[in-house]
Amino acid sequence: MTAVDPVEVFRQEASELFEALEIALLDLIDRPDDHDLVDSAFRALHTIKGSGAMFGFVQVAAFTHEFETAFDLVRKGEVKPTGDLISVALTAKDYIRGLIEAPETMDSIIGDAILDDLRRLVDPARAAKPLAAAPAVEQPSASGAGWQLHLEFESHILRNGSNPLDYLDDLRSLGSCFVVAVVDDVPTLDELEPEYCYLKWDVTLSSACSRAAVEDVFMFVRDEMQLRIDPITADRVETPPKAAAVAPEPAREARPDLQLDLLPKSETATKESGDTSTSEKKRDDGRRPDDRQIATVRIPAQRLDELMDRVGELVIAQARLSQLAAAGDDLSIKMIAEEIERLAASLRDTTMGARMVPIGSLFSRFRRLVHDLSRDLGKPVEFVTSGEDTELDKTMIECLADPLVHLIRNAIDHGIEDTARRTAAGKTEQGRIELTATHSGAQVLVTVSDNGGGLDTARIRAKAEDQGLIAPGAVMSDQDIHQFLFHPGFSTAQTVSALSGRGVGMDVVKRTIENMRGSIDLATVPGQGASVTLRLPLTLAIIEGLLIRVDEGHYIIPLSAVEECVELTAADERSRGRNFLNVRGDLVPFLRLRDLFGTPGSPERHQKTIIISTGDTRVGLVADQIIGNHQTVIKSLSKLHSDVTMFSGATILGDGSAALILDIAQLVALAQSQSEKQQNRAA
Amino acid sequence: MNPDIKHDSVGTHAADSIQVLMVGLGDETFALDAGFVREIIDPVPATRVAGARAFLPSVINVRGNVIPLADLRIRFGMQVEADSADTRIVVIEIDIGGDPVLVGVIADKVYEVTEISRANVQQTPRVGMHWRPEFIRFITKWREEFVIIPNMERILS
Repeated sequence: MTAVDPVEVFRQEASELFEALEIALLDLIDRPDDHDLVDSAFRALHTIKGSGAMFGFVQVAAFTHEFETAFDLVRKGEVKPTGDLISVALTAKDYIRGLIEAPETMDSIIGDAILDDLRRLVDPARAAKPLAAAPAVEQPSASGAGWQLHLEFESHILRNGSNPLDYLDDLRSLGSCFVVAVVDDVPTLDELEPEYCYLKWDVTLSSACSRAAVEDVFMFVRDEMQLRIDPITADRVETPPKAAAVAPEPAREARPDLQLDLLPKSETATKESGDTSTSEKKRDDGRRPDDRQIATVRIPAQRLDELMDRVGELVIAQARLSQLAAAGDDLSIKMIAEEIERLAASLRDTTMGARMVPIGSLFSRFRRLVHDLSRDLGKPVEFVTSGEDTELDKTMIECLADPLVHLIRNAIDHGIEDTARRTAAGKTEQGRIELTATHSGAQVLVTVSDNGGGLDTARIRAKAEDQGLIAPGAVMSDQDIHQFLFHPGFSTAQTVSALSGRGVGMDVVKRTIENMRGSIDLATVPGQGASVTLRLPLTLAIIEGLLIRVDEGHYIIPLSAVEECVELTAADERSRGRNFLNVRGDLVPFLRLRDLFGTPGSPERHQKTIIISTGDTRVGLVADQIIGNHQTVIKSLSKLHSDVTMFSGATILGDGSAALILDIAQLVALAQSQSEKQQNRAA
Repeated sequence: MNPDIKHDSVGTHAADSIQVLMVGLGDETFALDAGFVREIIDPVPATRVAGARAFLPSVINVRGNVIPLADLRIRFGMQVEADSADTRIVVIEIDIGGDPVLVGVIADKVYEVTEISRANVQQTPRVGMHWRPEFIRFITKWREEFVIIPNMERILS
């Protein structure tokens, strides 16, 4: 393994922090009084500042510091987090992100402008002066004699990579220092945590420097220490306390020393309990989640993919072994085969589980989108999400981002009416967009719904007639008309806005979802809103399939699409012209796979029909034999076979031969067009 | 594998020789650039793909990958013979739209890996060929016999 670039790790970490920060900021819009949110935003900022400084992102640290200072007023409750303030804070967040990801492209002028905005909002009175410097006393200390400093670092300071001694060295660069280590709090040897810093320091700095210069030394640890800076007045030039050990050089960390043991225990105890009570505890609460993260490991996604590939091969090899073992009569081989089958299945489940990611991480991205869109379009929108815990294969989560952006944009731009029209229709001024995810069998349903005007069926129809997609006056169900929305280049928006209306989008959405073997349902109630539901399989890598045989060829039907299997009755068999099946009173069109695949020869006796469904449509597929359940490791078809429409992929069977996976969506579309043709002929 | 050879246009390195795999298809002998060849395997059961182009009629399993099996005899309008004891599948890797793609090619016979010199390169004749000229990279002489070095990318896409 190659060494991990620490800067890269920081970037990764920072991007997570930015996500947390954004979530907290957006939540603040709804709950401006929630202190936990302010705190969590503050914590994120603080960590970015701290690690930024550690990895040499000086600009990031400096800017974030200013940002943090301004935000501190919010934390102290002096300033309310207004919508404007949040907007600026979000811009500031983007700027910091830019500084980290592409520092060379960021202009510090932008940063200054953002900070100005920020200051103006949090503190109009002090806007003119930079905040950090505002409380500082710029002139040298009154007497010019220097400063008396008391430094108390938090005990875990060493863990963050900060070394208090470095700060003392920095102080020395300002002027001559007299440093005294305060060892009162150093515990006895058996209680001593080697990673903690127990020492405190009293420093007498003889320098004419300003207070700000002294404060600057501690810029990056300011929040993890208590710093007292007092000017040395003429009468306060005193000798250091005698009780403490005098250290010309600060002692190297908290070394257990016999001498320290002599300190009365009770004193240490009381001091600790007194000092650390309130403020310390609060911070500790905030840090606890970090400690828990030790239980998780970051793995490059590519390695998970490789693991999945290997497991896929293992499952195939195991299937061959099982087949071989079943054919022979060696009992011990059979037992091993069964054992391996069990292990392979559980390994597969675990690996697939490792690839599952809660969809919430994706949802949180859209809150920003809705926030920005609603501001730009002047449509107040409430954004509600639910089902964030629903887990999906991580590759799918990535693929889902773009389609959902399109759907949400459409919902706000086209779905939600403007305020005037909403009021006229007797609705609340604020529109509502819901993004939900739920499990439904082996599928995950992701729904985007709005309470806007709903789909305008008449307009879609007019547009379709305009573009020559349907003959004027043709009889079509509303649902079929809505399908035109997925037609490439189809847009009903009267004006092309920056956001939508160009007619690209919905067809891309449909293609992306179908590539994931998913499907899209549209539902609308005129005047009350529309909803788009994406039906997705749980995973892309392995599916449960139904293995069937047509002549000599084996094929897989995704089990999630299978409703039931029925025998093709003699009556159905005979009626060549009529390809409909009577399934408990419902007419279901069917396709003879032999005809479809152009298989020579005549069909075998006792043809079987597998009823598959997508959405509300059901189609029967007629095969020669149903073999049974098959763990299907999906292999994509070669680019050279990209013109093949009936199959969505391939898999490898137990005997090592390849079998093709039927593309359900395509077959259903094919069956529908065939049955329409028949109906037209009949009419 | 050998980009130099792959991207050379005919004549720039006239003195160079390239390693090729000599295969027989019907009565003709072809030289496949050895740099593309991944492996040569015995025939395996192929799975027919309904609706695919005629010269890519099926897929096969090669080490856990499902790859297309190309029948150049169909592409070139030659007589398709049944598999014989000499029939092999040559697995080659070609570049389609910037991605490497594995494809199996049926060969009636595989002869040997040899070096052919580019010095003997002949201009592709305009007439007297039942092959489309764009399918041919160049023609050269090998043991007093003319052999065709086909342009596999063109042929298969």
